[in-house]
Amino acid sequence: MIGINRRRLLVASAVLATGGLVVSTVPAQAFSPHSEVGVTNSAIKLGVTIPLTGAASPGYNKVPSAMKAYFDYVNANGGVNGRKITLVVKDDQYVPTLAVTQTNDLILKDKVFALLAPLGTANVKAVATRVNPGRRGVPVLFVNTGYSGFAVKKTYPTTFTMLPSYIVEAKIMAQYITETYPGKKIGLLYQDDDFGQDALAGFKQAGLSLAVKVPYASGSQGVAGVPATWIQKLSAASPDVVILFGVSSATAAALGTAAVMKYAPKWILGSVGGDATTIKASGVPAGVLYGATGASFLPATTDTTDEYIKLFQSINAKYNNNAVFDNNVLVGMNTAFVTVQAIAAAGQNLTRKGLIAAIEKNGAKFASAGLAPLNYSTTSHVGYNGYWFGTYSPTGDLKPNGGVYTVYTTDSGSGAIVKSTYKRPAMPADGLPTQP
Amino acid sequence: MKKSRIISILSASALVSMVVVGIPSAAHAAGPLCDGKVPINSCQGATSDSAPYVMQVPANFNGTLVLYSHGYRPNVPVPAGIPGYGGYTVTNTPQPGPLVGGKDTSVIAYLLGNGYAIAGSGFARQGWNADSAIATDVELIGAFKAQFPATKHVVAWGESLGGFITQGLAETHPTLVDAVAPMCVADNVGAELTMAGDFLWGVKTLFDPTIKGGNYSAGAAGYAEAMGDLVKFFTVIGKLQAGIATGAWPDTSSATGKALAAAGVPSRSALLLLGLMAGLPTQSAHFDSISGPAGALKVTFPLAISPALAILENGANAGALAVLALSDVENQAGGAIFDNTKTDYAARVASDRVIFNAALSGDTAIDAMLGALSSANPGAPRAVGNAAAIAKMNALQANTGKINVPTITMVGVADPITPAGSSVRIAQAFAQQYADEKAAAFKDYAKTHTYEPPKKDLLSLWSTTPSAYTTFDSNGSPISTTPAAPGTNHCNFTAAQYLVVAKELVTAGTTGSFLGGGTLMNLVRKAKNLSIDPFFDAPLLKYYQQ
Repeated sequence: MIGINRRRLLVASAVLATGGLVVSTVPAQAFSPHSEVGVTNSAIKLGVTIPLTGAASPGYNKVPSAMKAYFDYVNANGGVNGRKITLVVKDDQYVPTLAVTQTNDLILKDKVFALLAPLGTANVKAVATRVNPGRRGVPVLFVNTGYSGFAVKKTYPTTFTMLPSYIVEAKIMAQYITETYPGKKIGLLYQDDDFGQDALAGFKQAGLSLAVKVPYASGSQGVAGVPATWIQKLSAASPDVVILFGVSSATAAALGTAAVMKYAPKWILGSVGGDATTIKASGVPAGVLYGATGASFLPATTDTTDEYIKLFQSINAKYNNNAVFDNNVLVGMNTAFVTVQAIAAAGQNLTRKGLIAAIEKNGAKFASAGLAPLNYSTTSHVGYNGYWFGTYSPTGDLKPNGGVYTVYTTDSGSGAIVKSTYKRPAMPADGLPTQP
Repeated sequence: MKKSRIISILSASALVSMVVVGIPSAAHAAGPLCDGKVPINSCQGATSDSAPYVMQVPANFNGTLVLYSHGYRPNVPVPAGIPGYGGYTVTNTPQPGPLVGGKDTSVIAYLLGNGYAIAGSGFARQGWNADSAIATDVELIGAFKAQFPATKHVVAWGESLGGFITQGLAETHPTLVDAVAPMCVADNVGAELTMAGDFLWGVKTLFDPTIKGGNYSAGAAGYAEAMGDLVKFFTVIGKLQAGIATGAWPDTSSATGKALAAAGVPSRSALLLLGLMAGLPTQSAHFDSISGPAGALKVTFPLAISPALAILENGANAGALAVLALSDVENQAGGAIFDNTKTDYAARVASDRVIFNAALSGDTAIDAMLGALSSANPGAPRAVGNAAAIAKMNALQANTGKINVPTITMVGVADPITPAGSSVRIAQAFAQQYADEKAAAFKDYAKTHTYEPPKKDLLSLWSTTPSAYTTFDSNGSPISTTPAAPGTNHCNFTAAQYLVVAKELVTAGTTGSFLGGGTLMNLVRKAKNLSIDPFFDAPLLKYYQQ
């Protein structure tokens, strides 16, 4: 398939190429008179890289349009401190090197004020290493990865997490399993990288015994025959309960293959790979999901008694072409909702430093749809830290067990897992954050 | 192995034809002998170390000499038939300026056309020659000034090892030069050979244990060993290329390698890990680690395969450099100079293993490979250096990055021989130097009430890659017959990029300041694929991360 003529390589390496693109040296553009990059008196420019195409894109590709929809709603209501928000969206295909290139462009060409919600542990790590937003002072808001390392302020000084860490999720999941399925044999399918390592650390921390652990290399879920090997390994060990702690495409591959192979343990889905619409879009019948357990830190997407869900659904209808309102849309809108509060809290004289300070000072009090608290402070860039568990309905919707959101919280260390008493702040009127 | 199965190792400027016809070496200082022609007066001569040089002085000489130092040339002939560069013969033909693409003299023409004189030596010996080359350059400057008393300014530039020589000249003889431009600058010899040696050691350890990989014998026997290593190295590179898609391991693989193969680790993942351990760029002349062919491999290719192909292209350069330069420096130092007995390869890839996890086939495979390569595995014996030889190597010219005169650096962000980290090291050193000088200036202010801010005497230019550049044929196979992408390969600059450096160099040399602001921005923009991003970062060579 791959052919390389190395004689030509020799020639090529001795010949200078001349074409190409200007990468980074765009003169200062018309973003004055305000002194901060990406901010004018009337506009704020944010940027996001996310997989819009490629194997990992299903589901995730709905996040940017959801964020834009909420920003459009805010803009239609006067913006934030008189400024309207624009969001520059770039496709990284879930490829780290491309994420680096796209982020470089966002910072150096598009001159964005801040990066918003980049997705994927490897991608965020690659950008942190190769582009180094921290050294540049560029805020990286609310990354779409639960890798616990990104909350380490010393290493990632301008980065804020939002999702509960994978360690937090695994710890809480371990307790749930221990209480719900005492004495049962547990199996695990996990992504064989830092995402999975966080999960393993959390399960270990919580004392969950895993009878069988099946790692999969990121991307291998799309390789013909590979998912069948997972199911073979799992079924050979005969676990009663199997945790699927991977991305949605891996969850879909596992469930779909298991259905074909008539393997049906009790499934427990991690939050990252638990979006039902994404799984169903991959060809897995909703019935396969029925009865499986899932986890979330946000209200159920079908819970129209929740004021945030109601608001977001109405915004989705008006500003997002009435897209299927799933967890990806909900996450996107909620991220945008928190972002707007952060920008508002940073005040009229908006700067990158001011934004970071505002989140550190006020972030723990931000209203949001989250049912667990945000944990921002001058010493913590940790977002949510809790989960509730539910069961997938016959139509594939995740509903809280017992009809009640019972949230448990913990930390990424050795902290205890406790039933949350967190009272979510009331949603600001019309979902528009109060501005100074 | 046919000659056509070759991946080049050497910079364009290193091997290709020179501007000036070579002259016989003199046994002692000679000349210069000038032809007195108009509009260009060409002079030839030799310094006291028998290094031939050339000077070219335009009739409208403006008083500024632009001295060039050429890059690494092997110091041994390479017999025909050996892949890579068979037929190379050692040459000390002088080169007075950069040649775009190995032959284009437009940059030299620009300088001469604008009244600048140019000069360059072929140096007395080839190989790693920084110490003697600096001395040669010093003598050449003196000879030029003596011949052309109207000389008012001297600026120096060079590429690769020539960049190192240029930086060394400015560090050791700051009063002789008014500005310098080390381009695609080599790092200190220990750092360069650690990078090359690590990769060669990895290839030997996993893919062909019959590669000697350094510690060559003295004399003719050692020469034969090195040439034999070149053949073996390129042979195994060919086998790795053949197995890229399937993950098949070369039939010459070691028991350690075969065990990894049996565990299901693809050879491409092992190859990539070796490249990351050594610090090679994961973008190369034709592989951007971004693009994929239309269809099923659109994402899988850049995620899982392209980084390994990039290492294959870049590693061919590094491995061949390792054989030739290790052999040369071992001869100079009197023993083995590559030693990885204490190298923690796992620590070296701690960050990259996250970023390239998919291409490395996941943590389980990564841990298996690192375990196989660990010092605890007797199946992966480490290279043991000779302490006295290492000490002797370390006593060779070592640049600190101190900036004594206005300095311009330029490097490709994916240069596989002199990685951008070499230039970043200079930038980091200057950042500290500037901070120290600023603090001293504040301290002086308390006494004198006069604040003299330090000068920002470093301009860093980065030759960048296009956003995406791998191309595919109608079958979805990558095309590797196109010219190397900008920002990749060694010292792969366009005429326009060289001219940005040239203009900054002569301006800084004559005025003490760079062209800045809008003038610089316009130059950079017009040159294309060039950045002055002050926050550009690249990892230092792994030698500094041990």
